[in-house]
Order: sequence, then C-alpha cells, then structure tokens
Amino acid sequence: MNEARVMGVSKRFGEVVALHRIDLHIGKGEFVALLGPSGCGKTTLLRLLAGFESPSSGEIWLNQELVADQDRRMPPEQRRIGMVFQSFALWPHLTVYENVAFPLRHQQHVPEEYKQNPRARVAQMLEMVGLGGMEKRYPSQLSGGQKQRVALARAIVFNPTLLLMDEPLSSLDAELRIQMRKEIQHIHRELGTSIVYVTHDQSEALAMADKIIVMRGGRVEQVGTPHEIYYEPQSPFVAKFVGRANFVKGSWADSSTFLLEREGQTSLPVRVSQDLTPFQREQVLPVRPDQIRLHPWQEGQDGVKGRVQHVQFQGRELLYSIQVGEEEWEVSTDIATRFAYGDQVAVELVV
Amino acid sequence: MATNWQTTLTKRQAEGRQQRLWTAPIPMEKAAGWLVLLPVAFFFVYPLWKLVILSVKTEAGLGLGIFSELLADARTWSAVYHSLTAAVLSTVLALVIGVSLAWLCAYTDIRFKGAIHVMAMLPLLIPSYVMTLAWTQMAGPAGVLNRFASWLMGFPVELWNVYGLDGIIVVMGLSHYPLVYMLTLSVLYRIPKELEWAARSSGASSRNVLRQVTLPLALPGIASGGLLAFISGLDNFGIPAFLGIPAGIPVLSTLIYEQVIGFGPSAFGRASVLSILLGIIALGGTGLQWLLLRKSRVDQTSAEDRSVRYTLGKKRFLAEGAVGLFLLITSFLPLLSMASTAFIKAYGLPFLAENLTWKHFLFVLRDHAGTREALGNSLMLAGLTGALCLVVGTLFAYWRVQRPHKLGKMLEGAVSLPYALPGMVVGLAMILTWMEPIPGWQPGIYGTVWMILIAYVTRFFILQVKSSTVSILQVGREVEEAARISGGKLWTRWGRILLPLYAPGMLTGLFLVMLTAFTELTISSLLWSSGSQTIGVVIFGFEQAGSTTLSTALSTLIVTAILILLAIGGLWKRYWQRRVEG
Repeated sequence: MNEARVMGVSKRFGEVVALHRIDLHIGKGEFVALLGPSGCGKTTLLRLLAGFESPSSGEIWLNQELVADQDRRMPPEQRRIGMVFQSFALWPHLTVYENVAFPLRHQQHVPEEYKQNPRARVAQMLEMVGLGGMEKRYPSQLSGGQKQRVALARAIVFNPTLLLMDEPLSSLDAELRIQMRKEIQHIHRELGTSIVYVTHDQSEALAMADKIIVMRGGRVEQVGTPHEIYYEPQSPFVAKFVGRANFVKGSWADSSTFLLEREGQTSLPVRVSQDLTPFQREQVLPVRPDQIRLHPWQEGQDGVKGRVQHVQFQGRELLYSIQVGEEEWEVSTDIATRFAYGDQVAVELVV
Repeated sequence: MATNWQTTLTKRQAEGRQQRLWTAPIPMEKAAGWLVLLPVAFFFVYPLWKLVILSVKTEAGLGLGIFSELLADARTWSAVYHSLTAAVLSTVLALVIGVSLAWLCAYTDIRFKGAIHVMAMLPLLIPSYVMTLAWTQMAGPAGVLNRFASWLMGFPVELWNVYGLDGIIVVMGLSHYPLVYMLTLSVLYRIPKELEWAARSSGASSRNVLRQVTLPLALPGIASGGLLAFISGLDNFGIPAFLGIPAGIPVLSTLIYEQVIGFGPSAFGRASVLSILLGIIALGGTGLQWLLLRKSRVDQTSAEDRSVRYTLGKKRFLAEGAVGLFLLITSFLPLLSMASTAFIKAYGLPFLAENLTWKHFLFVLRDHAGTREALGNSLMLAGLTGALCLVVGTLFAYWRVQRPHKLGKMLEGAVSLPYALPGMVVGLAMILTWMEPIPGWQPGIYGTVWMILIAYVTRFFILQVKSSTVSILQVGREVEEAARISGGKLWTRWGRILLPLYAPGMLTGLFLVMLTAFTELTISSLLWSSGSQTIGVVIFGFEQAGSTTLSTALSTLIVTAILILLAIGGLWKRYWQRRVEG
C-alpha cells in the first residue's frame, strides 16, 4: 500500500520536452525529495503525480493501480492525494475549520470516524500543526507560517495515499523554514505517509528526505540517500548543485589517487577515500568548501600556494575565495583560522 | 515482492481498461476549442463581414460604386471633418483634465480623494445623452446660465450656447476625461517611488523629475487613455444627436443614423460605406492604443503604491477648491439644472414655488404608455443581457485564462471587436445580419426587442469578460487545484470555491453591463420599432419632439436610480473586502 511508481514517463509541452523517460519508485512511508534547479522538470513530475497533467508517454501507478498513461488520466479529485502548494492556496472566503474540513466532506474513502465527527478530526489536526483553537479565523488573519500549517493540515486530514509538497517553505522567512522542517519531519513520523517533496534548496532535501532524486533538464541525474548524494556525487552537476563543490584540475593515477596540477611544479598526489569514479573521465576532483584547510604559507614550502581574494565573516564560519593559479576556490573554515585579504596561504585538500 | 507487484499490475491492467471513468483530456480540449470558435465567428465576426459585403454590392455586382459616390459628396466630408474635430479636441480637453486630476489624486496630499474619485467616475456611469440634456438645461439659450446672466445685466445676454460644435467638444471632453483619469491613475500608482527618489538624489529639481521621469513613464498610460477618449468621441451618438442635429452639424454617427432612418433605396448601402469609414478610423485608434499599452515600460504587475509623494502645503486649499469647483460646475450644476426643469409646470417659467409640480414625473411613470413599455423593455434587456453575459462571459474568461495560446488571443480580439467599433456601425451590422442570418432563413426577429438583446450581448460581452478575467487571474490556478486535489468535483469546485471568489469581478462586470444596457441609446435608436423602444429612445424622442419637461423628468429619475445602485454596489464591495481581505 501507499506507494507510487512512475514508469518511463515523458512529458512534452508543444515542442518543449519537460521530462525524458523518467522512472521512479516511492516506497511505503518513504520521504522522497525531488531536487533540482528551476526548469528541471521537478514540478511537472509532481503535477503528473497529482493528476493535473497527462503524461505524453509512460505510466503512473498509485497503490498498484494505473492512474495515468498517454491516453487517459484519472482526475486529481479521485486520486486521494494530499498536496501542499507553494502559494498555500488556502480558500480566503472559508474559515480555517472550513478549509481543513473540506477534504473530509469531499474526498473518497475517508475513514468513517472522521466523517462522523469532522470537528474532532480537524481539531486534532490543528493541534498537531500547532494551531489548536484557531478554527474560526479566516486565512487573511493568519501569518505566513500559520497559513502554511493550515495548508499542511488540510493536506493530511483525510489520511492521504500520498502527500505531495511543492516548494512549501519557499515563501517563508529563513528562521521559519528551519522550524517548519522539524514540523514536517514530525508529521512524517506520526502519520507514516509517503511524501514527495519538491525543492530547489539542497539543505531542505538533505535535512528531511530518506531519498533524494536530483533532476536536471527533464532527466534524473542521480538517486540516492542524502549521504550518498552529498558524499558520492555521480556527476559534476550533482557535486556542484549539492554542496557547491570546487572542481580541482589534475589527473587520476588510479581510483584512489588524484594528481593535483600545480603551476610550475610537479603535480601533487592526493589520497581519495570515496568512490568518485565518474569524475575520472572529467580529469577533475570535486572538493567541497569544507574539505579544504588553509595554513599560513611558508616560503620554500612544498604545497599548493593560494592567495586570499575575498573573506566573508558568517558567524560560525568564514567563507574564503582563494586564488590558486588560474582558478578560484571556495573555502569555508572555522573562525579559528583567520586570514586577511591578500594573504598568501597553503591550501590542503582533505578528501 | 517485486514480482508479486508486477503480477497485480498486469492483472489490474487487463481487467481495468474498459470500465474506467477517466477523462480523455486531449480530444476534450480540441472540442472545447471548436465549441468556442464557431459561435464567436458567427456572432461577432460574421455581422462585420456582412457589412463589408453590402458596402461593395452594387447593381452591377461587386464594386466600389457607393464608395466613390459618397466620397464625392461634400456632406460626407463635412461629417468626417466634424467627427474628427470633435473627437480630437474633446480628447485634448479630456487629457488636460484627466491627467491633472490623476496626478493630484495619485501623488499629492489633497483630501477627499475617495469623494473626488467617485465624482470623477460619474460621467462614465450616467449616460452621455442624459449629461448632454443636463447641459442644455444649464447652458442652452434658455438655460440657467444665460437666464442668470440676463437677470444680472438687466437685458438679454447669451454668455454661451451649448448647441453647436463647441458645445459638442466641451460635453464630449467632460464625458470622456474619466477614461484618461483612470488609466493615468493606475500607471502613476505603479511607477515606483524609488525612481523619482533616484532622480532627486541625482540632483534633479522636482520640475525635472516630473518632466524626465514621471511623465515619460506614465506616457503610455496617458496616451492610451487619450486614444480611448478619441475612439469614444467617434463612437458617441447621444451628444452630437442632441447638440449637433438641431444646430445642423452632422458627424459620421448621426449621418449614418439619418441614412438608416431615412430608408431610401440605397440607404443601407450608403450607411454601410459610412460605417466602414468610421470603423476604419476607430480601429486605427484601437490598434494604436494596443501598441502603446504593449510598449508600456511600467510593470503592470508591480504593486500599487498609494502613498503621498508631494505635499502641497499652503497650495493644498487652492487645489482642493479648484477640484471642488470643477466638479460642481461640470457634474452637479448641470444635473441640478436638469432636475429643476423637470419640476417646472411649463417649460420657460421661472423656478418659483408656485410654478413647481410633480406632474411630469407622474406622467412619464403612470400615464405615458410608451415610457412604461420602454422602462419594461430596458429593464428586461438589462437583466437578460447581464445574465447572459455573466454566465457565458465568465466561462469564456475562464477558458481564456486557462489557455494562454494563440487561439485564445485571437478569439478575445474577435469578441472585443463589437465594442471597439462605434455603436452605430455595430447596430447597422446587426440589422444586416439578423434580417436574414443564413440565405433563405428569416427568423423574424428584426424589429423586435430580441434583436436588440442579441446586439447588446454581442456588444457588451467583452465588458463582462474583462471584469471576470481580473478576478480569475487574481484568484489564481492553485486555489482551484487545491480544491481538486482535496476531492472537490466540478460542481463543488464552482459552487463552493470558484464562484464565491470570482464574485467581485463577476458582479462588477454584471453591474457595468446592466447599467450600460439599461441606458443604451445608439444601437437601440437604430433597431427599435413600435413596442420595442428603450429608455434612451424615449428620452431622445421627447427631446426631438420638444417635450423638454418630460425628457428631463425621465432623465432625473434615471440618474437617481443610478446613484442609488452605485451606493448599494459601494456598500457591498466594502463588506466583501472586509470579509476576504481582512
């Protein structure tokens, strides 16, 4: 139960191909994040799951039932899916209670006890999202964060087969986003519903998802756990998009030794402990800003020499831009190591 | 597990294919396209085609015979000259008034903005022929103004006579400045304050800011309002009919009217050639306006900023006084003069207690069968036109918003044609079409009130479409999608979610369409016959027959009704905003 399968789905809008033969599986109770830059097709994929669009080819299955192929499509109102929209999409002329109770009255296969006593169910849901007692308010009387919670309550009130979330936190401010992440995780734990969560914010995906699907140009770039996506990116795109990697030029001696190119010097061997096979062909080593250490430069030293171009104080850490030969590397360090603009530094890679 | 799943799949797949109730989305979409395309082509485009065909039909087959005959006629050129002069000069007047008033209301700390705004909108809501009638009572030869001047001087003087081309220009300008005012106001609100601040901090004086930043940015809006005033000037029939016909000054719209009413052997052919002439000038204006709006550099989606940008200081009193005096003279006094005439026992008697009476009101309401009939007709026409436009127009707007493709754009252009073209042109096209819509089929509606209904729906349809579109766009697609995903079926979605949210735009459109239809004159003056006359036709008839006390009494009643409706509408809107916007 409670699973979804996308099989060989393509979607064209006129001449534009939005999705290329996508396959994916959302298991029972799984929290799947669709991550990618805008225009990568993640929202289109979500709308296909919801039933707002029809696939140009391929099939979509919900709970072992075919719900859409190229000829026909089960309309959204029959799919028993909960959805949280980017703009909240609360109905401004209805109260919080009426908004949340709407699916109880209109969805199919709502558990009988909820139908019998919608007041209790709505109250329970509002309690769960931290809005207990706000039934009588209108959406215009709520703050952004409260609106988002109502939207969440409305999406889960009827025990949906699947919960879809379309960049639900992007219109909230930074502090509230962190807070809401915890609440979404809490709800996921409580309900055990499968969730498909669309976002362009890598930290949201890394923080909450069981599985991340990185998308680019209508194709799946990589599928994996947050740990795999972060530490074992399978392509330069994933390395860059998730964790802002620097691409260090050089050559691979073997799968665990990278020979770092240095200007006017012999290349420097670097030990690599992770599996970064896909980068061997590219002749680069992906290095994250936190995988670089900086030390004061001693004249005559054998190492990589760099020069500080920018320093940004961030509170807990410092962000440096270091000029190394022709390249500029992004480096983040703790505030114990402080360098100033123009300082010469020795750069050490800890990969 | 995986194999298990696969078998269930295939089994379900095999048994499920036939009995599913799903939508097959693509053919439906195509069908809807045709379902919209065909009626639009028949109701909105075909009549204009008939008009063009008739204009080139001569005894010897197709040809430009009537064109060359009419273009050689001095009366044609005189009408073209008067039409253009009246339209251009009234536009200049509308621009001066509209832009100044918009700037004062948008940027300065002038008080009573709400009241000024409502007063400035009045000329759009009160039909122009009623306003013209009011002006004849104030500034006609025996009007309040000239009588007052004569009384002051002790001998007869004529300060100004509103009959004539100058009168047409002034009344037209005063009727159409709200168009300039509205469009300019919306552009001015949308120019970010920061742009002016940036110019000030770069050393520009406030005069230079106005000249080099504000005006250039507002120009597309201003010019667009000006063109709208120009087109409305060409379109207008009431003002030149009331002020021009008695003074022997023809314009194109009155000339077409006289041709059709005159009913000669080639009357329709001649009228259709004149209509095409008028239509081409008007469409040229519309095209230019469309280009200008497209070029507008002020972002239409940027938020309105209604904060005060200039404090007038001591000059504020002066500005408020000037605006108040202007509104008093141009709106209040003419209407008051008109009302005072309606109470006078016999036209020409002085306004004294012993000369006052209710009898004209009683006569038009109770004793005059034609007026009662016209009231019934106009109410029925307004109601049915409003209802039809409300339902079909909102559905059309909904269809159009969902599909921002070429076909939608084209069809929207088609349905706005009958409104962009002068009413006289549309009226004539309607006659030509509905006498015999398809060769061999005469539905017999020509000369009935149903003919007028069809013409009204065709002409005012776009007003409803535009109003509904505003609300549909504001509500946005996600609100409906949220209802769908929450299990709401078609009727639930429309009844519970969409209609309540679209209501403000739908009702604004309904109000606009009903009011316009209720007091319409141009089309009904062509299409009416005994038993199907409208209020506009009756007032026009009273005026032509010289029954001024009756025309003013009926007009006074109409204005009162409009003001009451306006108050109700305003109250409802306030209630709605409080509920939804908090």
